[in-house]
Amino acid sequence: MLIGAIVAGIVFGLYFALVGLGLNLVFGVMRIVNLAHGDVLMLGGYTAWWLFSAFGLHPLEAAALVFVVFIVVGFPLYYAVVPRLQRARDAEMLSLILFFGLSQMIEALTTIAVGTDQRSLPGRVLGIGPVILFGARLPKPWVFSAAVSAVAVAAVYVYLYRTRLGTLTRAVMVSRDEAVATGIDIHRVSAIAFGIALGLAGVAGVFAPFMLGSITPDIGVDLNLTAFAVIVVGTLGNPLGTVAGGIIYGVSLMLMQTYFSSWANLLPDLLLIAVLLVRPEGLFGRKVRRA
Amino acid sequence: MRDFALPILVLAAFAVAPFLYSNELMLFNFVAFLALAQGLNIVYGFTGYLPFGYVGFYGAGAYGFALAVMHLHAPPLLAMAAGGGAALVLAVVLLPLLRLSGAYFAISSLAAAQAVYEVVSNPALEKITKGPYGVSLTAVFAPRFSYYIALAILALAFALVIWLRNSRFGLALQAIREDPVSASMAGVSVVRGRTIAWLLSALIAGLVGAVFAWHISVFYPDTAFDLGVSIFATVFVLFGGATTLTGPLLGVLILYGVYNAIGITVPQYFQFIYGALIVGLVLFLPNGLVSLLTSRGIRVP
Amino acid sequence: MSPEPLLVAQDLVKRFGGFRALDGVSFHLAPGEVLGLVGPNGSGKTTCINVISGLYPPDGGSVTYQGRSIAGVASHVLARRGINRTFQSPKPFLSLTVMENLLVAATYGNAGTPPDLAALLASLELDTLAARPAGELNSAQQKTLDLARALATSPRVLLVDELAAGLNPTELARMADRLRALAAGGMALLVVEHLMGFIDRVTDRVAVMNAGREFFEGTLADAIKDPEVIRVFLGGAHG
Repeated sequence: MLIGAIVAGIVFGLYFALVGLGLNLVFGVMRIVNLAHGDVLMLGGYTAWWLFSAFGLHPLEAAALVFVVFIVVGFPLYYAVVPRLQRARDAEMLSLILFFGLSQMIEALTTIAVGTDQRSLPGRVLGIGPVILFGARLPKPWVFSAAVSAVAVAAVYVYLYRTRLGTLTRAVMVSRDEAVATGIDIHRVSAIAFGIALGLAGVAGVFAPFMLGSITPDIGVDLNLTAFAVIVVGTLGNPLGTVAGGIIYGVSLMLMQTYFSSWANLLPDLLLIAVLLVRPEGLFGRKVRRA
Repeated sequence: MRDFALPILVLAAFAVAPFLYSNELMLFNFVAFLALAQGLNIVYGFTGYLPFGYVGFYGAGAYGFALAVMHLHAPPLLAMAAGGGAALVLAVVLLPLLRLSGAYFAISSLAAAQAVYEVVSNPALEKITKGPYGVSLTAVFAPRFSYYIALAILALAFALVIWLRNSRFGLALQAIREDPVSASMAGVSVVRGRTIAWLLSALIAGLVGAVFAWHISVFYPDTAFDLGVSIFATVFVLFGGATTLTGPLLGVLILYGVYNAIGITVPQYFQFIYGALIVGLVLFLPNGLVSLLTSRGIRVP
Repeated sequence: MSPEPLLVAQDLVKRFGGFRALDGVSFHLAPGEVLGLVGPNGSGKTTCINVISGLYPPDGGSVTYQGRSIAGVASHVLARRGINRTFQSPKPFLSLTVMENLLVAATYGNAGTPPDLAALLASLELDTLAARPAGELNSAQQKTLDLARALATSPRVLLVDELAAGLNPTELARMADRLRALAAGGMALLVVEHLMGFIDRVTDRVAVMNAGREFFEGTLADAIKDPEVIRVFLGGAHG
């Protein structure tokens, strides 16, 4: 049972890494907190559900479509709000409030459009029967979603470390001021990162019905807390630390569900608070405390 | 004296309102949000900490009241004290969160409120909290009396904010908000200042939650820990303008007034409008309605 | 010799991770005395002020004030006991008025008889701005306000961190006169500054630092003849 929980935890962890990745990319590059992240994810889920039920589109195709569309939506959204926010004295706090408002708008519009019913996709779309991994039997849709997540995370790695734009992005992460001084167009770099972050959230959303069972318009808040817990554990502002955070989170969740199932819902909340208080810099660095 | 005119007018109006208007629950909700907005104003307006999980104190107050009535058969006024006490205990437990800076504080307070909700609503605790099935306190049901208690809590909230607006302590809190290092070199104990503001703010929410439990007498964890309470209070404060008495007061009267006039049947339209308001305010009027006056040098109480 | 010292630092050490920002700093400061702390960028001058003013505790050595150790004592307690400072980049309470900025300090940080705040503002030429929010002040005015905030607590020891940077020659001369006047009134001052002309005008003695270590103490006239000082300022040291 222990092995099973750990293997399932790692599989879920890869998925949770994808859930947190976009949020961390935005934080790392722009120093702002996108509190609408969970709602963007939720939108990705509904889009996949709609594409499947209306056109029979496979989730993988839906994921590709969602990724591209969300990136395209991300650019104008970035230019509409972010540069304005960053001029303010307390950009981090204001961004939190602003994106909180945006999350309310997204949730309201989704509820108006599709109602409050739970929506899910049949697991068989991603394959039937269990997969045996290290002796643990896992549903095929979980393994499929985890594999897609791993590919997405790897793609972000390639982008950040093997492309010119990625190098510029990392430069902005290290120091905005230095980046400006060396002539990098930080808004272009940031807008692209913002778009990619929304795209990643959308892809995570596409697989949310399989990993979370179902989706409703109000899952944004819980997903935000989950994503935040993942990236805080894995180091804020370090997108690849997110993988470590996701796996720690996933394994803890599975252990909780196996041994203390009635209290498993407390995990993201308590993990988030505990890590912020005890080791606010996550696994590797960066201070978030004041004075 | 000018500082007292508006709050006294509001208190007087709500004191006579039940004799003129029959929808007492709506009046109660007005009074509750007026108090919650000022309670949030104490911590957000004066120290700059915005607890997204403010509803946690409200819920703790409601359940503190309910548990005292259900298990100790406490008389309602004593149970009110239990509600306020429960919120204070929660606030003390959460004191370490004040070490976190703005955004991390906001999110971790939300996580804390969710955690309290998960505990209270957990079926495993059904014997104590009735879990997700809600509580019924019909034995102490006293809508008129509890309404006036709510009004007394509102008076307390007004008084606290007037004090902060006009005292050196209020200035010291704002100094901490502006820059904690400079504030400590000005001799202000940063930890003590923040702690007092945090506890007062939690106490107001706890008392409002307790009187809500008393007034409504049947409720569920989903109502007592409804994130909407945090959202409404936040929007009212931001819309009117934090750090003033007038701002949050106007925010409630205007926005909750409009909400009641047209919004209840399809709450999503209002959720959308509120979300849009938040976005618009942050971008175009980050200091709220009253900043239209204060930026022209007009002093607003 | 100078009168009984008010503030004594002995072999102060402060580490950040493996980096020794302070690596043995010793000096004493008597009432009415002005000690200049000079050295290249990154030599630990501001860290020294931060440690003495309670921003963070020292990792070694001792610092005493009026004969009692103040290592690790919180800033607000030190302010009330009579130690205050200015900041290199001042952060006044921007949404409060200039007068309210001072009121906070005079109320909570007072170490003696509360000063006449109106007179204090007038002496620093901020009186016409008293009712204006600090956020409307320019950066030179914000620096002066930061000094006023420190003075509003009636300190006996004042640590001054690069007050002169950004002032024009006339303002510099006036600021130097002000600091001398404070010392003449019995205040002990520790002045960190890059402008040697300013140091020359204001200080009685200087302590010279490099790489966290203090290696010279004496008059500025002697310092500029010291081969080690010359080497640090003109030779290898950067900045």
